Amino acid sequence: MPGTAAAAQEARPGALRLSGGVFTLSVLTLESPDAQQLATRLQEERQRNPAAAALLKNAPVVLDLSAIPGEASLALGEILAVLRGAQLLPVGVRNAAPGQQQLAGKHHLPILRGQERPAEPVAAPASAVQQRGALLIDQPVRSGQRVYARGGDLICLGVVNAGAEVLADGHIHVYAPLRGRALAGVSGDETARIFCSSLEAELVSIAGLYRMPEPHLEQWGQASQVFTTNEQLHIAPLGGRNT
Amino acid sequence: MARIVVVTSGKGGVGKTTTSAAFASGLALRGHRTVVIDFDVGLRNLDLVLGCERRVVYDVVNVIHGEARLQQALIKDKHCENLYVLPTSQTRDKDALTQEGVAAIMEELRQDFDYIVCDSPAGIERGALMALYHADEAIVVTNPEVSSVRDSDRILGIIAARSRRAEAGQEPVKEHLLLTRYAPKRVQGGEMLSIDDVQELLRIPLLGVIPESESVLQASNQGIPAIHMKGTDVAAAYEDVVARFLGEDRPLRFTQPERTGFFKRLFGG
Ligand SMILES: Nc1ncnc2c1ncn2[C@@H]1O[C@H](COP(=O)(O)OP(=O)(O)OP(=O)(O)O)[C@@H](O)[C@H]1O
Ligand SMILES: [Mg+2]
Repeated sequence: MPGTAAAAQEARPGALRLSGGVFTLSVLTLESPDAQQLATRLQEERQRNPAAAALLKNAPVVLDLSAIPGEASLALGEILAVLRGAQLLPVGVRNAAPGQQQLAGKHHLPILRGQERPAEPVAAPASAVQQRGALLIDQPVRSGQRVYARGGDLICLGVVNAGAEVLADGHIHVYAPLRGRALAGVSGDETARIFCSSLEAELVSIAGLYRMPEPHLEQWGQASQVFTTNEQLHIAPLGGRNT
Repeated sequence: MARIVVVTSGKGGVGKTTTSAAFASGLALRGHRTVVIDFDVGLRNLDLVLGCERRVVYDVVNVIHGEARLQQALIKDKHCENLYVLPTSQTRDKDALTQEGVAAIMEELRQDFDYIVCDSPAGIERGALMALYHADEAIVVTNPEVSSVRDSDRILGIIAARSRRAEAGQEPVKEHLLLTRYAPKRVQGGEMLSIDDVQELLRIPLLGVIPESESVLQASNQGIPAIHMKGTDVAAAYEDVVARFLGEDRPLRFTQPERTGFFKRLFGG
């Protein structure tokens, strides 16, 4: 009952407003526990790809510790300093061993969950083409795969299956059934939309507003679009009058 | 130069080892020099299904660790010419396989054989990745149920992204769907997914359908690959699979419920 909750909050002006949101964060996998080595690697990376480095300026990053053995001595404080020095904003850690979790707690870094399995596949499939700001995927996006069109639209010609996740800063077009999770406008663009030829999604989200469609939904299995107006998420027929 | 075929699924117990043994035997029966490799380190099933468990001296892990030469570890199948088995270790774990070790074995086998069939362990971790990494073709073994289909989807994604062909930007691994343990009656009753349902979800070409049958258990208890069980539906279905794999056109069989009782008599079934 979101309406009731909102009403209750309005009745108490000044109360905290806590709402849910889905965010996409960059993940930095730490290759060694050595802060100096990280500094060198970041420097190399910046020289090799200045454009990507510029995009990541002041980006929140999650530190993935899966490659660091739990017993290795980890100078987390120094590592955080290196990251901040490189204009990255560490906001949490994941895949931390128990000792590392304590360490993170000391540095006020939350432990983030999700994607616990080490053998995560794939960014975009090999034949993906990024052109004129749109990322075109001509193969199915399968369970466990994740495709992100950074800074533009995503076009999927094949199915997006359950357990797959597609994200874009812009719109998402799926010219096949959308069965997985689709998140458009992930950097906050509320005008982004999702279009699909059959809506069977596990989750649809625009700029952090999300909904988990159910089979009893009127648009289930139909050609649909998802968009927002006034912080409300709408699911409507494609080519319908709301367009 | 051999073609490398991985038999994989993600989900456990769907019929990978049964299929690896039958498929490799079928290729050998048609005169192709074939070797089948057990990648399921620690579980060692393939040698049992092929009935050669008492002849295992060295295994793939010994070869990788330089404790035996490849030729010493290869076992000649007793049911057909042209088939060799590279068994796995029962006492080691999956970390005993190294990327370089597997690559060296593939390289050596490629020279001598027409087909290398890799029996993958279940899961999506290291062992399964090792088994699929070198593949030119993949047979994705799927049972007609939702969880198996989901896992097949997952492994297809991994093949598309993490195989050698994907990493090298070569032509993608050729994908084949093999539906096994298919029980037409239960499909008709709505308890199991149909062939169409599975194809709609996975969207890869269908190589064949193997019916659910007690002969599979009998065969594996006797250490005889199912394709040798003359006169059974399963043997015929696996023969069709091999024929289609080699480019022949064969209609699907054993996908309709058997007519029984009254109707069987009436229509002379
Ligand atoms: N078509 C079939 N009809 C009936 N039983 C079958 C069929 N195919 C396989 N089985 C049975 O299913 C079980 C699992 O088969 P198998 O060992 O080939 O699967 P697997 O995928 O290799 O398993 P694992 O993931 O453990 O390696 C065995 O008991 C086997 O006899
Ligand atoms: Mg097996």
